[in-house]
Amino acid sequence: MNDSPTSLSRRRFIGSTGVAGAGLVLGAPGILKAAAAGGDAIHVALVGFGKQGEVLFNCLKNIPGLRFQAVCDISDWNRKKGMGQVRAVQGDLPKPYVDIDEMLATEKGLDVAIVATPDFWHSPHTVKCLEAGLHVYCEKMMSNTIDGARAMVHAAERTGKLCQIGHQRRSNPRYLYTYEQLIKGRNICGQIVNANAQWNRSLGASQDIGGDKLSKSIIVPDERLKQYGFEDMHQFLNWRLYHDLSGGPISDLGAHQIDIFNWFLGTQPKALFASGGHSYFKKREHFDNVMAIFDYDTPQGEVRAFYQVLTTTSAGGGFWESFMGTEATIKTAEIASSSAIYREDGAPSWDDLVEKGYLKRKPAPPKPQSSEGAVAAYESAAPEEYDLPGGFNKPAHQPHLENFFAAVRGEASLNCDAAHAFESEAPIFYVNPSAERKERIEFTQEQLSV
Amino acid sequence: MNTEPESKPDTLALTYAAWLTRLWLAVRAIQTGIEKFAGKAVSEEVVAIDGSPNDYGLTASSAEKAYSLDNYHGVPAALYDKFAGEPLIPGFFLKFYDWVLGPALLVLGLTILLGIASRTSLFLLGALYISLTWGLILLGEPGNAGVAWLAAHMILIVMALQLSRHNKLCVLKKW
Repeated sequence: MNDSPTSLSRRRFIGSTGVAGAGLVLGAPGILKAAAAGGDAIHVALVGFGKQGEVLFNCLKNIPGLRFQAVCDISDWNRKKGMGQVRAVQGDLPKPYVDIDEMLATEKGLDVAIVATPDFWHSPHTVKCLEAGLHVYCEKMMSNTIDGARAMVHAAERTGKLCQIGHQRRSNPRYLYTYEQLIKGRNICGQIVNANAQWNRSLGASQDIGGDKLSKSIIVPDERLKQYGFEDMHQFLNWRLYHDLSGGPISDLGAHQIDIFNWFLGTQPKALFASGGHSYFKKREHFDNVMAIFDYDTPQGEVRAFYQVLTTTSAGGGFWESFMGTEATIKTAEIASSSAIYREDGAPSWDDLVEKGYLKRKPAPPKPQSSEGAVAAYESAAPEEYDLPGGFNKPAHQPHLENFFAAVRGEASLNCDAAHAFESEAPIFYVNPSAERKERIEFTQEQLSV
Repeated sequence: MNTEPESKPDTLALTYAAWLTRLWLAVRAIQTGIEKFAGKAVSEEVVAIDGSPNDYGLTASSAEKAYSLDNYHGVPAALYDKFAGEPLIPGFFLKFYDWVLGPALLVLGLTILLGIASRTSLFLLGALYISLTWGLILLGEPGNAGVAWLAAHMILIVMALQLSRHNKLCVLKKW
């Protein structure tokens, strides 16, 4: 990249940009990095090896220089699965543990913990590991309570250890490029006035996990379930559905995308209004459908951001975020084919950007027949469609984990440390209360700060 | 008394049946063996922006199916991980099995195709399929579709063995 004002490196860009809203630096979490750890292998404990733990491991095994020393999970099935997968990668078995305290007391030489347990365990597990001297990568949502999330930030500050939160889009090259080069660098959206995002999941994909008759091999003994906060196997397999164990769909799915609102807009929202209901799954503790509107004050002006998480339909193409400006709309998504950039009719030409390779022009769709009569006078011309110049060929979580391990080695700064993740996640904790009370919430600094 | 002569077996039909089962089993084994060397040749280029490679790692990539020794994976990766977690499968055995599975399918497929020690080759192929069946049983595959699929192979092998007397055009009839 050259040194033109629009091609600053990420760190230089962050350092030179003022950010609105309570002195926040939502776009600039690159503060923490560990002291150089030398060329030795990093010794890793895998804490939680359920579905998400496996997703992370499938990225971790592509990262050189890691030694998987221990697998900890209360489920024999998950633990065995984790051990098998580790053995397939490194040739020998890691040490198995049911209990994290026992693991931390027994295992010597651990450097890092990857925490992928249910949300209500994130904070206790992360704090324990940080206090044991480990760097931690913890899945989002930081916790099921805002105080749990605060405790993680405090523990990271107190111990001086790294704590990366799994908002993996923060390290996604396509998101980084979109934010730094297109939105900030070249301001191709013009003034962003609205944002919109959704995670819509079909009814089929939203059903309870498990069934009436579970295979013996996956059943966790009752006594152990209760010891670790679960009433029964249904709770263990479906912890996302329970108030005391998670924040429900708005935190489980919404956290990723509301984080993008806060990151790209560079500030926290000033107000929130939400609506939700048990529209289909009548007996679930959490709302099955939630819609929320966040109001932002950005340096460019007001922005209203609408978010919906629906568990009864996949309509609208699943999950994505859209930033609508006066000159263009950028639609981002983890799935590259769902992303697009639309130039408004009348916006400055992008021919130069296409020629230099900043954007790719998509083939124009066939022109629709113009509407007749008076309607035509009010129609907007269809926007031209563009795309990013390239993609990346890795599992979605891998760049974020690579960033974490580079920080552990002292070679990079975290892209989403606990403090910045907290700033981004804090408003999400108020969505369910707003929907329950049917009240607009004007945020105070105290509500959104550590 | 019934004085009708006993009907003679239709030897041409039995020969055709022997060839068809032989060909099916051989093609199945050989191509499965070859596919174990299949992979994707991914070409990935860092995208140039404003004349320089971009700093973000954005790439343009294309992938084409290709065969090479480097691609070899006897046991598919997803299954390998699961087998590795099975206490009844020692690590060294899994490694050996992974190494030998592809070549074994190729060799047995070729010997069956060419008619080299057909009966022994069919027996060994059957034993190989039994080992795969055992692995799938260990994994507790829901519905046992894979086990049923392998059972269909076993039925064909048994048929081929029964028809071996009619199996003409063999390089080595013995065994």
